[in-house]
Amino acid sequence: MAALSTASRVLAKKVLSAKALPAVSQSSRKLHFSVYGKNNSKVSDGISTQYPVVDHEFDAVVVGAGGAGLRAAFGLSEAGFNTACVTKLFPTRSHTVAAQGGINAALGNMEGDDWRWHFYDTVKGSDWLGDQDAIHYMTEQAPHAVVELENFGMPFSRTEDGKIYQRAFGGQSLKFGKGGQAHRCCCVADRTGHSLLHTLYGRSLRYDTSYFVEYFALDLLMEDGECKGVIALCMEDGSIHRFRSKNTVIATGGYGRTYFSCTSAHTSTGDGNAMVTRAGLPCQDLEFVQFHPTGIYGAGCLITEGCRGEGGILINSEGERFMERYAPNAKDLASRDVVSRSITIEIREGRGCGPEKDHAYLQLHHLPPQQLATRLPGISETAMIFAGVDVTKEPIPVLPTVHYNMGGIPTNYRGQVITHTPEEGDKVVPGLFACGEAACASVHGANRLGANSLLDLVVFGRACAHTIADICTPGEKLSPLKTNAGEESVANLDKLRFADGNMRTSEIRVNMQKTMQNHAAVFRTGKVLKEGCDKMDAVYQTLDDIKTFDRGIVWNTDLVETLELQNLMLNAVQTINSAEQRQESRGAHSREDFKDRMDELDYAKPLAGQVRKPFEEHWRKHTLSTVDPKTGKVTLKYRPVIDNSLDAEDCAAIPPAIRSY
Amino acid sequence: MSLLRVCASTSIFRSTQGLFVESAFTGCLRTASGAAKDKEPLRKAKTPQGRFDMNDEKTKDPLEKFPDDVNPATKEHGGPRGPEPTRYGDWERKGRCVDF
Repeated sequence: MAALSTASRVLAKKVLSAKALPAVSQSSRKLHFSVYGKNNSKVSDGISTQYPVVDHEFDAVVVGAGGAGLRAAFGLSEAGFNTACVTKLFPTRSHTVAAQGGINAALGNMEGDDWRWHFYDTVKGSDWLGDQDAIHYMTEQAPHAVVELENFGMPFSRTEDGKIYQRAFGGQSLKFGKGGQAHRCCCVADRTGHSLLHTLYGRSLRYDTSYFVEYFALDLLMEDGECKGVIALCMEDGSIHRFRSKNTVIATGGYGRTYFSCTSAHTSTGDGNAMVTRAGLPCQDLEFVQFHPTGIYGAGCLITEGCRGEGGILINSEGERFMERYAPNAKDLASRDVVSRSITIEIREGRGCGPEKDHAYLQLHHLPPQQLATRLPGISETAMIFAGVDVTKEPIPVLPTVHYNMGGIPTNYRGQVITHTPEEGDKVVPGLFACGEAACASVHGANRLGANSLLDLVVFGRACAHTIADICTPGEKLSPLKTNAGEESVANLDKLRFADGNMRTSEIRVNMQKTMQNHAAVFRTGKVLKEGCDKMDAVYQTLDDIKTFDRGIVWNTDLVETLELQNLMLNAVQTINSAEQRQESRGAHSREDFKDRMDELDYAKPLAGQVRKPFEEHWRKHTLSTVDPKTGKVTLKYRPVIDNSLDAEDCAAIPPAIRSY
Repeated sequence: MSLLRVCASTSIFRSTQGLFVESAFTGCLRTASGAAKDKEPLRKAKTPQGRFDMNDEKTKDPLEKFPDDVNPATKEHGGPRGPEPTRYGDWERKGRCVDF
């Protein structure tokens, strides 16, 4: 036996030397990611002896590796900074991969174009709640950003001449709305987001970014109002890691999962917004959530409006074509918000379908199957896969679905996170940056235009990297941090890991999602929102009664889901409370009891002779919400909209007007 | 020969000794009796293996590729297959709306 083993060992050695293994590259460049960051990390027990903490030091840390996070991470690495990218998902699995639409840029390949016209369209689309300096920055940088992506290797579709093909999409016009439809949307077949993410990830491998994949960021390390890093849980082995750095960029994405029906991935849990809230900083405009009227019940995929355009009808539990009552002329072809509200009203009045009476039906089986197959190819597969129905025999269950969150962490046009006081105005939080869907530089304002969000990701990811490169130099000494920084996060983790209440994580989550779907969705009135706020408060208190089952520390998904639930709750209470306070209808936030926009002047009438309303009495302002995490109480403040562009001669700001298309 | 005798002797006990005996000897009884053909065929387990075996032909993609990947109407190279995704004002693909 021993002889056999020695023989095999000898043999193995022989085989190895005989094969002459290919020489590992002799260059001094490290692998693109370091799994445990062994080079600059040390274990400390400053926080607790039960949870050994590994400390890392970097010049910049990026939390999140979607479109914005990757662009910021390798922008920083390119500028020479020692960057870490902390992400709870592998970069190519981030939700950016699901984006198909395209990127808007005024390249002028199809007809003459000017980025100032794109600026006008975006300002108008945001219902004058967008900060015009940030929109100026984004639309001016758009052509550079798209050309840069194309140089990185992103395979845009081309015209005959070889230029990037641009199509009409997303409410874009020429000559400030007077010149007809503009063609600005550049896309990569039908997988723009997928291709963007893969291009950025591939490009980032050229630089020495350290990737910390499957590390769940718990909290920001704040000291004296300055952000000094992030504390994260390594999901793989349960160790706690503190990433100390002078610059932290948050790019964690949106929080669609607060609602019962949403198109976002299960991982869109608003972690960045919650981290900022726990640090005592405000979040901006969370009440602006973009809905789509017909999303498949349960799956969350959206059914195109073309179905109704081709003759599909919406029916309630009584089999009635209810759109005839809400929009007698347009019927099912009414605008999206009218359809969303009608479906919600039908469900609220008890005429919803299904065992829980919480959705409507989209009926297509009265149309000839041939017509369906030619006009809408692929819909039968979609209906079968996602709804489990045969579209030629049964109706598809649909309900209004969340698609995008316009609100998030307030930043200026350079990507720096700001707070606001009435005396001093906007003040930058040193060391903290945000970009992507998690941020609200407010380019989307009250409503996002299609194909602008991918543009937002790349432009502001790049902006964060440029700003950091302007302010700091690589290799700067870090300011000292208390040895027990982050101990509340670890205490919270410990509490959740051994939680032994009565309600499971999934039960509390479903309660929250249903409350948000019923009260803070498309149909908003004072009474419904107030009821929702009270219910959400009750659900928030049940978090103390939570029960987890997995007591381990390695790959504890129960724990991670519970942490995500805490984050979702913070987002949800802010959303519904902000919506309840905002007494007007603007963009995606529409209320039945306050149907008009309330600006400082009434822009529907001639402006001469009107008295400007004071700041407290009108609603053309950003909401800044903060939460006390222990009680769940939300405090709201307001911040004025930035109405001047970056350069008044180059691009004049657009004065507010009535938004009609 | 000896096998048959064993099987025959145990068959007497089959009814008395219960199912576990039967299940153990069913195989050899079947082969011995050669009466497998009039029993229904063993159904394949619904494992992924079985599902792939039944479905041989590849599902056809409802969206056809353009010749040379060039859209004949708009002359777009490398664009999305099938009808124009933005024809209804949103980005539509196989009945699903992805962006609007």
